[in-house]
Parts: sequence; structure tokens; C-alpha cells
Amino acid sequence: MFKDLWFRLRALFRRKSVETELDEELRFHLERQAEKYVRAGLDREEARHRARLEFGGYEQVKEEYRDARGVSLIETLARDVRYGFRALRSNPGFSTVAILTLALGIGANTAIFSVIDSVLLRPLPYADPDRLVMVWESLPGRNPHNTVSPPDFLDWGSRNSVFSGMAALFDQRANLTGNGQPQEVVLQDVTANFFSILGVNPILGTGFTAENGQPGHDDVLVLSCGFWKERYGGDSSIIGKTITLNGHPLMVVGVAPEGFDWFIKDSSLTGAKPQMWTPWIIPQAFHDRKNVGRFMTVAARLKPGATVQQARVQMNTIAAQIAQEYPDFNGHWGANVVPVREQISGDLRPALWILLGAVGFVLLIACANVSSLLLARAAARERELAIRTAIGASRWRIAFQLLTESVLLAVMGGSVGVALAIWGTNVLLAANPRNLLDLRSVSVDLPLLAFAVGSTLLAGLIFGFLPSFISAHASVAETLKEGGRGSSAGKGRGTARSAFVVLQMCLALVLLAGSGLLIRSFIRLVGVDPGFAASHLLTFKVTLPRLKYGTDAKCQAFFQELLPRLSHLPGVRSVTMNSYPPFTGLGAATGVRLLSQPPRSLKDLPDAEVRVVGPNYFSTMEVPLRAGRTFSEDELSQARHVAIINQAFADKYMSGTNPLGQKAVIFMKSLEESGNPSSEIIGVVGDVRQMGLDTPGEPTVYWPYPELVYSGMTILVRTSNDPLALVPAVRNELQQMDPEQPMAAVATMDQLLGESLERSRFTMLLLAIFAAMALLLASVGIYGVIAYGVTQRTQEFGIRIALGARRSDVLRLVLGQGTRLALLGIGLGIIFALALSKFLGTLLYGITPTDPLTFGAVALLLTLVALVACFVPAHRATRVDPIEALRYE
Amino acid sequence: MPRIDLPQGTLDLLILRTLALEPQHGWAISERIQQISSDVLRVQQGSLYPALHRLERRGWIKARWGTSENNRRAKYYELTKTGRRQLEVEKDAWDKLTAAVAQVLGTA
Repeated sequence: MFKDLWFRLRALFRRKSVETELDEELRFHLERQAEKYVRAGLDREEARHRARLEFGGYEQVKEEYRDARGVSLIETLARDVRYGFRALRSNPGFSTVAILTLALGIGANTAIFSVIDSVLLRPLPYADPDRLVMVWESLPGRNPHNTVSPPDFLDWGSRNSVFSGMAALFDQRANLTGNGQPQEVVLQDVTANFFSILGVNPILGTGFTAENGQPGHDDVLVLSCGFWKERYGGDSSIIGKTITLNGHPLMVVGVAPEGFDWFIKDSSLTGAKPQMWTPWIIPQAFHDRKNVGRFMTVAARLKPGATVQQARVQMNTIAAQIAQEYPDFNGHWGANVVPVREQISGDLRPALWILLGAVGFVLLIACANVSSLLLARAAARERELAIRTAIGASRWRIAFQLLTESVLLAVMGGSVGVALAIWGTNVLLAANPRNLLDLRSVSVDLPLLAFAVGSTLLAGLIFGFLPSFISAHASVAETLKEGGRGSSAGKGRGTARSAFVVLQMCLALVLLAGSGLLIRSFIRLVGVDPGFAASHLLTFKVTLPRLKYGTDAKCQAFFQELLPRLSHLPGVRSVTMNSYPPFTGLGAATGVRLLSQPPRSLKDLPDAEVRVVGPNYFSTMEVPLRAGRTFSEDELSQARHVAIINQAFADKYMSGTNPLGQKAVIFMKSLEESGNPSSEIIGVVGDVRQMGLDTPGEPTVYWPYPELVYSGMTILVRTSNDPLALVPAVRNELQQMDPEQPMAAVATMDQLLGESLERSRFTMLLLAIFAAMALLLASVGIYGVIAYGVTQRTQEFGIRIALGARRSDVLRLVLGQGTRLALLGIGLGIIFALALSKFLGTLLYGITPTDPLTFGAVALLLTLVALVACFVPAHRATRVDPIEALRYE
Repeated sequence: MPRIDLPQGTLDLLILRTLALEPQHGWAISERIQQISSDVLRVQQGSLYPALHRLERRGWIKARWGTSENNRRAKYYELTKTGRRQLEVEKDAWDKLTAAVAQVLGTA
């Protein structure tokens, strides 16, 4: 085996010496044979001649010998590659177009694949990440990913047998003081086993120990790598030092690895990635369901051998038990187990697969183009190929030669494509909306290269196969006789190229329809009225540390002073605040009972969002008042038990009655009705979209700030000019009141609104780019085929014109041919697109996947583009000079 | 006496057998085969060399450059250990084949 390989290699790399050795050996043989005949009495010349004759064909022997040597395949390949290069160089126009076309196709595929690879395929930075799952509480039909209450978490932990451990956490904003500017940071309170369950070890320090889960030992902190570098310059002496957070001293015991930031969008209360972690011990009071709601995120690790499916079944059983034991708090509630990977990529998954499908189509169109080009070129080379066949090349050899050329083209296109892909991915990254793609960097790694090489070779084989096959089966005699026109291979090529045009038109239509639907949907989405005026609105969050502002009165006093201070700044039109303003993520929600309706237990009560707002909220936000009045000055400074509801609330829960003057119990302060004073409804306002433009406003209750004092509020400043220009002045006011108080999450409402659209914008933009590429490539394709047809039929057109055909007849003839192909492709494309567009379903807003207007528009667009592409060569056909054309032969 | 061409596949056997006596160069191998077979077997000289290289690739014989009887550089082939074993195998097979053929011809 090895010997065999050795011989092949030696033969390959030391070809020259092997050849001379063979020559020498054969010469020696001939001479000895000749000597023999001389001794037998022949003269020298005669003897040599006879020896030669007996030996047989000298070169033939050498050829046979080479075959026996076993290198011919590799040698042939090397020869074909050299020949292929020469052929490509001799036709630079063709080669450039083909290589660029392929580079576009392969580049787009590789770029999208790199995103898919890093979002969906690459291992997450946790130990054995496939065994990590999220466990949620779920309300069937409403929210499959609801945050978890501490007592449920504790019961799950003690009753399950599928997890080797469960960790709970929640995030909050905290004020970091001392050592420079006060700063608001995002802190995750985690159970002490959090890092060990994820299997993440700190790069510095020890991290949390089991002891940190004991009361009195929990005043420790782990920093994220990013924050450690940013705030502390990556100084490793930070370990063991103390940091003041919300007035509490905490000792730094670790720095998390680079890139580790546990962030689950669905359950984040801050909407931002954590910068530090501190152990959290579930307080005794939270063991009682009466005292606490659902606010935690739960991650768990599956025991060895346990599957996600088993975990789902068991958690459902446990949730059902708990629901029976505590019907008031857990009735209707189930549990849901989601693999971490699915959780993180959930939002983007459908969009990414659709995009990969789209770039796959683009590559197919590119392949069809190159295939078509190759066919045209093969026709021009027909004589060359026929001659080679005539002097003994086998069909297989010819096909192999042509295929080698195709793969060579593909490889060059692929190389340019990979360069394009790297550039393209960086552009994607630069344009990457926050929190949409968790891409830190896209590196050229093994899977990426494997994908690029794979798609390149596949492309080369796809577009190279048909042309080689047809050429290899050309009839030699016919070709040589007819000079390449009208031969069987010529007809085969014509049919193949027409088929390619149909295919390209079909695929281009599918892409155009897809992007058309997304564009229409996006326009609808952007046109949606959010229910308030978003422009010229500055938002930022102020979270007062409870240690310093321990009482409601202190918090209230702070905001009562801050808002008027801000409203006096030049350029400020009005100022207000909201506990959970629109487009900043999840808000609080609870059960509401109207006193006019019979009492029911909390779990059966209708839900409403609860917003606590400051003075002038509705006028500042420009939310229209539909009935009644807004809060009075008195109600905004003392709790008078009043509330304003939105239209959705009135329509859903109070239709047919006048809501004004009715009283409602809003279960915000306690889970018992007795702990919640009822509020009188004094007004009805318009609906505001909270989570995104595609989600209609939920039933909502507004309370004036004194009804429920939050220590963290988002301040909303309506400005006359650029809101961000006011930031320094606003910060100055804030720090005059409290130099240790940071200003967090600064953004304009326009930015927040834009971010909520990013996913749709991103998908739409990419699909539109791919559709444009498809359109371009397909129009080049149809142009090429028609132009080639015109060149071939020059003589025929000449005769027609000479016989009296009008130029418009010729034009119609050529256009007709192109239009027939285009329309056939478009027709097939519509059928295909109708079948595929349902996969866009979840990405569409406000239109159906079969929207006739979109389909009509893209079909028309494609037809027009095809017509223009055909018109150019058709016009050339009408310019044919009959005398020239007849002389052409 | 008319010469007959070698039946397909027997050339390898004859080469191995010839080399079993002593290392030889190509021309001598073809001469030896002719001599021993009393000039009945004719080796198509052209096919000798590809066969030699085939055997070399299989590791049954190995080649080295040496000096011939008349002081010229020549390529000598000799049997390897595996080649010797292969010779036994092929000889057995050949014996069986010829015996069987003879039997068929005898009884026919």
C-alpha cells in the first residue's frame, strides 16, 4: 500500500528522472537485442532495425509503462488545469464575467453562512452547552416564556429528577460610586451556583463558592471582562478590593471570561447585558407565594442521560401538581423547558434560514449564468473539441477537460467570493443593530472555509456538468461538416440555455416576491401609529438607591424637584416620567377587578399593564384623551386612588358601560384584594404600543406616581431641537441635586423605535439586496442568451430583411422569443413563490403571504427588466445589413 | 517450430520464476524465458517493461542499477520475500489450472 503510494509520488514529483531511467533501460534492451543479431551475422543497421521492430512501438511501450506506473490520472489533471488556465486567460472577458458572477453568489452565501454559523451553529461559551436549558413558567395561549416566582423555583428544584442543578437570577440597575464618576451599572443577582451550572470559570479570582450562598457571605462580586477593562483598565489587583454598589460595599472575587454575558431578552428587566454578578439568597419571605410575584430567569443543566423531552414531561407534571396545591397562585400556570441555544437565537432563526435559502437561489442563478456562458463558449470551441475527438480523445477525456475548467473558474470565483464575504460580514457587523445579532467578530475559521470550498466545488460541478456533457456527446463528423452551426450539440445547447433562462426568471421572481412582501410589510410597520409622538423626545433612566432614598417620600421629593428643574432648561418644552415607557421592554402587569363585577380569585382576573406616570404625561407624550380628564395637580402629589385606563382596556373589559366613575382593584401592592385600595377611573386615553410597532397596545392602567412609588423611573423630555444636545445640561441638573446619581440608558425615542424595527429592517434589507442581485444576474442571463441567438442568426435576419421583412418584424421576432422564455419563467416563479411565501409568515406584518399586489408588481417589474434586456440585442438584429450578413458566411 | 504468444496473465508468473534463480535485467529475462522454453514462448518485448514495473509497484520484485556482463549500466530486478511467496501461490494456481485443463482435454 505504502509502497504503491511511494511509487506514484516518486513518479509524479521526479517525473524527469523516472522518464530518463526508463529511456535508459529501454535503450539498453534494444542494444543488447541488436548485439545478439550482430553476433548472429546481421550487419549493425539491420540488427538495430530488427530489434526495434520486434520491440514494438517504443512510445506506446512508454505510455503503457506510465499507465502501469499509475500516475496518469494526476498527470492528466495537472495537464487539464494548465490547459484550463490557458483557455481562461485567452478569453479574459468571459473569465472576468464568470468569476465575478460566481464571486457574488459564493460571497453572499458565505457571508450569510458565517452569520448562521455564529448565531445558530457555533458552540455557546458554556461547558457542554447542549445540556443547558431555560425553564419558564407558562400561561398556555398567552406567554410561553414567563419569568418565574421564587417559591415555584424552590419547588421545582426539590421535586425534579432531570436536572443536576438549577440557577435563578434577575437583573437590575445599580449605582456604582466612589473612585471616579458615579455610574449606573447593570447587575445580575444570581443564585451562588450560577457559574458552576453554566460551567463558566473566572479568568481571574475564584468566583463564587457554595459559601457565598449563605447569609452573611454574599457581599461578593464578579465583574464582566468588558467592564473590568473599561472601568478598571484590566488591572488584576482588583481581586480582593471593595466596590460600592447602591451604598453596599462588595468584594470583587472574580472576573468572568471575555465575551461571557448572560443575556436573555425575554426576561431581562433592564434590557441590557450584565456588567457584574452578585450572589442572591432567596429571602425567607419569598418562600411564601403570597409575598412575591414572578420575576426570575431560571437556567438548569440536564442530568447526564436526561433529554429535553423528558425534562418537559416532568416539569409539566410538577407544574400541574403545584397548580393543584396552590390554585390561587398557580392555577392555569404550566412550565416550559427551552434549550438555551433555541432561546438565544429564537428571534432570528426563521429569518436566517430564509436568508440562507435566498442566497442559495442567488448562487443557483449565478451558476445558471455561468453555465450559459460556458455553453456559448463551448459552441465557439466546437471545432477544437471535434478535432480533439477525431484524433483520439475519448468523450470522457473531453468532458473531464471541460469540467476541470469549470471547477477552475469556480475556485477563482470562490476565492474572490470569500474575500467578498469577509468584507460583507464586516459591513453586516458594522450595521448590526444592538442586541439583534450576538456577533462579536466573524473570523475565517474552519467551518466557514469548509462551507466556502464546498459551495464552490458544488457550484463548479453544477454549472460545469451540462456543458461538458453536451459537448462530449457532440457528433464529430457532423460538427466538422457543418462548421458548428445547426449541429445536434448546438440544438442541445440552445435548449439548455433557454431552460436556464426560464430557471433564472423563476428563481428571480421568487426572491423578488419575498423581498417585495417584506418591503410592503415594513412600510406598513413603519406607518403604524405608535399612539404617541416619538420625535424630539429624550429618554433616560434614574434609579435611586434605596439605601439613600429609603422612603417613598424621599423618592417622591427627588422626582418632584427634578422634573421642574429640567423643564426650565432652555430647549425643553415639557418633562414627564413613566415607570415603563414604550419601546423600553417589558413592563409591569397584574390582575384587575372592577368593583361592578363579582369578586374572583386573582388567577381568573383579567390582566392589565400598569404604568406609573408623572405630571403632564399625556400632553407631553401626545397621547390623546378620549374621555374624562387627566390627573390633577393634587392627584399627582398625593395618593387619591384614581386611575386612567386606555381604550383597549375599556373595549375589552368594559364594553357597553361608561368606564368613568367606576372603581377597580389593581393587584399591584398585594396579592390579596384587601391590600389594594380600589381606584376610581377618571379618564380614558388612546392606546400606546409598548413592545413594538407590530404589537397592538394591551389593556393598560395609568396611575399617578404617588399611587405606587418606584425608585427607578424613566424621565421623558420633550425638546424643541435635537434631544441629545440637551444631555449635558440635563446631567448637570441631576448632579447638582445628587452628585452620586448617574443618568442611565440615555436614548431618544426615535432611536428606541428604530431599534424595535431593526430585525424587520435587517431581514428586509438583506433580502432586498439578494433580490436585486438575482434581478441583475437574471437580466444578464436573458440578455446573454438573446444576444447570442441574434449573433447566430445574423445571416437569417439578413435574408429576411433582403426578402422584404420590415425591421419591426425582426424586432418582434427576437423580442417574442425572449418574452416567451421570460413569461414562462415568471409563471413558474409565481407558482413556486406562492408555495414558498408561507415560510415568511411570521416575518410579515399587515399583509398576507400571497398579497396579490406584491406578486403583480414584482411580476411586472421582472417582465419589464427582461424586455429591456432583450430589447438591446433585438434592436441590434434590426440593424443587420443584409449584404454584410450574406457575405458573413 | 512455431512460437506461441504468451497467454494473458502468464507473463508475471514467468518473470517471477525467472528471477527466482538470480537477479536479472530486462533483456536477459526475455532471453531466458525464450531459452528455457526452447524458443517456443515468445515474450512480446514491449509488454515486458510495463509488467516489470507493475510487479515492482506491487512489491514483488525490486530494482537497482548495476553493471551488466558487458560493463554497461543496467537495471537489475530481483525477487523480494513477498515476491517469492507470490511465486508459490501463482505456481500452485497454474498447476491446478493446467491439470484441470489437461483433465478436461483428456476426457473429452
